[in-house]
Amino acid sequence: MKINSAVKLGTVATFAAVLLAACGSSSTSSSSSKQTLNWMESSALPSMDSSTATDVVSGETMNNTGEGLLRIGKNSSIHPGVAKSYTKSKDGKTYTFNLRKSNWSNGDKVTAKDFVYAWQRTVNPKTASQYAYMYAQVKNANAIMNKKKPVSSLGIKAVGNYKVVVTLTQATSYFPSLVASPMFFPQNKSVVQKYGKKYATNAADNVYNGPFKLTYWTGTSDNWTMSKNTKYWNAKNVKLKKINFKTMKDPQTALSQYQSGKLDATYLSGQQPKNYKNSKQYVERKSASTFYIELNEKKDSMMKNKKARQALSLAINRKQFVNKVLADGSTTAKGLVSTGLASKNGTDFNTAAGVSSATSQDLTKAKKLWKEALKETGRSSYSFTLMADDTPAGKNIAEYVQSQWAKLGNIKVTNSNLPFKTRLSRSQNGQFDAVVSAWGADFPDPISFLSLFTSGNSYNNGKWSSKAYDKDVAAATGKDANNSSARWTDMVNAQKTLLNDQGIIPVYQQGKAQLVKSDVKGLIYFPTGANWDFSQAYIK
Amino acid sequence: MAKYLAKRIFYLILTLFIVITVTFFLMKLLPGTPLTNQAKLSKSQIALIYEQYGLNKPVWQQYLLYLAGAVRGNFGTSFQFSDQPVSYLLSSRIGPSLQIGLQAMIFGVILGILVGSFGAMRQNTWVDTTATVVSILGISIPSFVLAVLLQYYLGLKLGWFPIAEWGGFIYTVLPTLALGATPLAESARFVRTEMVDVLSSDYIELAKAKGLSRTGVIYHHALRNSLIPLITIVGPLAVNIMTGSMVVENIFSIPGIGEQFVKSVLTNDYPTIMGLTIIYSFMLCVVLLFTDILYGIVDPRIRLTGKAN
Repeated sequence: MKINSAVKLGTVATFAAVLLAACGSSSTSSSSSKQTLNWMESSALPSMDSSTATDVVSGETMNNTGEGLLRIGKNSSIHPGVAKSYTKSKDGKTYTFNLRKSNWSNGDKVTAKDFVYAWQRTVNPKTASQYAYMYAQVKNANAIMNKKKPVSSLGIKAVGNYKVVVTLTQATSYFPSLVASPMFFPQNKSVVQKYGKKYATNAADNVYNGPFKLTYWTGTSDNWTMSKNTKYWNAKNVKLKKINFKTMKDPQTALSQYQSGKLDATYLSGQQPKNYKNSKQYVERKSASTFYIELNEKKDSMMKNKKARQALSLAINRKQFVNKVLADGSTTAKGLVSTGLASKNGTDFNTAAGVSSATSQDLTKAKKLWKEALKETGRSSYSFTLMADDTPAGKNIAEYVQSQWAKLGNIKVTNSNLPFKTRLSRSQNGQFDAVVSAWGADFPDPISFLSLFTSGNSYNNGKWSSKAYDKDVAAATGKDANNSSARWTDMVNAQKTLLNDQGIIPVYQQGKAQLVKSDVKGLIYFPTGANWDFSQAYIK
Repeated sequence: MAKYLAKRIFYLILTLFIVITVTFFLMKLLPGTPLTNQAKLSKSQIALIYEQYGLNKPVWQQYLLYLAGAVRGNFGTSFQFSDQPVSYLLSSRIGPSLQIGLQAMIFGVILGILVGSFGAMRQNTWVDTTATVVSILGISIPSFVLAVLLQYYLGLKLGWFPIAEWGGFIYTVLPTLALGATPLAESARFVRTEMVDVLSSDYIELAKAKGLSRTGVIYHHALRNSLIPLITIVGPLAVNIMTGSMVVENIFSIPGIGEQFVKSVLTNDYPTIMGLTIIYSFMLCVVLLFTDILYGIVDPRIRLTGKAN
């Protein structure tokens, strides 16, 4: 019965299509009606307040319902947003943004004051924003967060309604990409105050200035809907009418929904990527996050021995790991900084700053170095624990690395897989021998990674330390901050120092495998922060 | 009866109080912070944020503050869903969980009684064997395996039911089947064993001799007496459904509270852990109270008020 009617419907539809084609009518009229995208997320949308949101799903949603002074586009390029242009002072410390005339979804004008209000609200210690540290470069931000200065002293001023002047403590070359991220979006003061505690906790108690607006979201629902924001200044170029977001916590369920046509895209995990690798709909997305092993140099002489660290790195066959074990679009790490994050004159950072001997396998050399390290530290063998997350990914990497290290001989590695928060606390307190850590870049600049391993940095769990490295990182963020080529050289040198000394053992760069229906076009993906921009997407 | 109820409700509150206290202090022993962004915050930054949330106070003070709030119906604000009060988070998500749980219970137990009775009535025939096989399968196949199988065959292959998500009644069918399998099997097993016992007892023989019809005998005499042990397992079954729903909700993308429970513990979302613990223990206490009352109704020999005159 069902099949019969489907066949009938199909016949009629084909017939109609032939007729239409014969009449020479254009297909645009029919395509505009189906401009609905069905998108999957693996966790629910927890927040829409750009001052307090912390997770990727919130970032992604806000990036499509809001807009900052600038906007991130393809390959992390920066485009005009609410600001139609900006100028930078010679010393790189002052930015002047010229705003266009644009509106909030309720008809209010988006003005310079909305930016001042939002930024001040985020750094206000009362807001307890977990991402306020991203404002560190803005003048007085740190003092305000530590309650040493009033909120009004923040380095952002509105000049009239359509000019924003930002003062930084020091030149920051990646400041434009910061400004384009959701944490720097404007907020409509009257709306925030009107809704008070309820502000941004559901679709209605909020206003939007981006390509889309939220039209359904209860604040705790697993589904939410965005519709085209007709008040957006560039609305004529937004093609999608509606995006339905659905939370699918189980990857198999998501795949089934994709296969039955309920979703236009789905992320793959576990064994799924292997099965769909040859599909035309299969896409791999590089994330700006690197997985690496930190060795606790404070624990004993072995981990402090450079040869031992090098041996442990040289023993790992990373290619086999990403291709056979993970097989999910992840790639071998070429350094601490993720590949594809930053480039200069078309050359990727890791092409300039990669050290192949620190990120590839050479078992013969590894065995030799391990023997020497044992001898130098007066040992006959060495046993230690490798700590990692208790997630499937954490177990994968720990088991693989354990098996690779076993080949060194005279070594005994015990694995300990712990819940994320426990692993984190132990790492930070130095309660480990070796730990698998990961870092995702907050903004598209190598310094987002490189600042981690300066001496005494709280994220430098292994306590590796190098004066040359500290000096280069300090130069890149200080004296060379406004000199892009000198800064680039500093950062290249820093990573080279870190890798040559094997301060960490880079293993892989995370990737995401995805299936996307072939009629979905114009998706913009970038590896940091908000990940997706749907403003130019359409269904063909 | 009223006195008995009052006593039981007092015990219920006492139990909840003990659960709250124990959970609160155990929870504070969890390593890590409730901050999502913990990996990227320095100790001093964490300290500043803690101050805003009152997490810098000694644990006993936090405990007293929590109790004071809870009594007034304020269960705090969730960390996972920032800015959402826990009471709203739970009340907006508990509906689907309750619906699936109740449906699974009703479906499972009623069908279980039928399957069990038929098995007992047709003892040692193919009907009985089928009933036994159904109960063995129902007990041995975990609900999450059954869920995936149902989803694949009835959802994706045959297209009879939606694969996942939440909408009208039709969306609840597969999760109900998946969750209802264990109660079905358990109750079928109990009813069958008990019914076989009852059917061979003297008063059934007497009833038959009286000339009562077969259905009359089964309905009025056999079934009622076979149901008493079933009530005993309703409590454990309810627990089974509550834990099973955590996985089944994920598989069918049901916007319930099952997953929140696991996630809140893993992310140290203190207010949500407390809220959910209270809800789950409350539900369990109510189910146990309910079964105790049910005993008295089904079996008049069991007196709720204690001493019979």
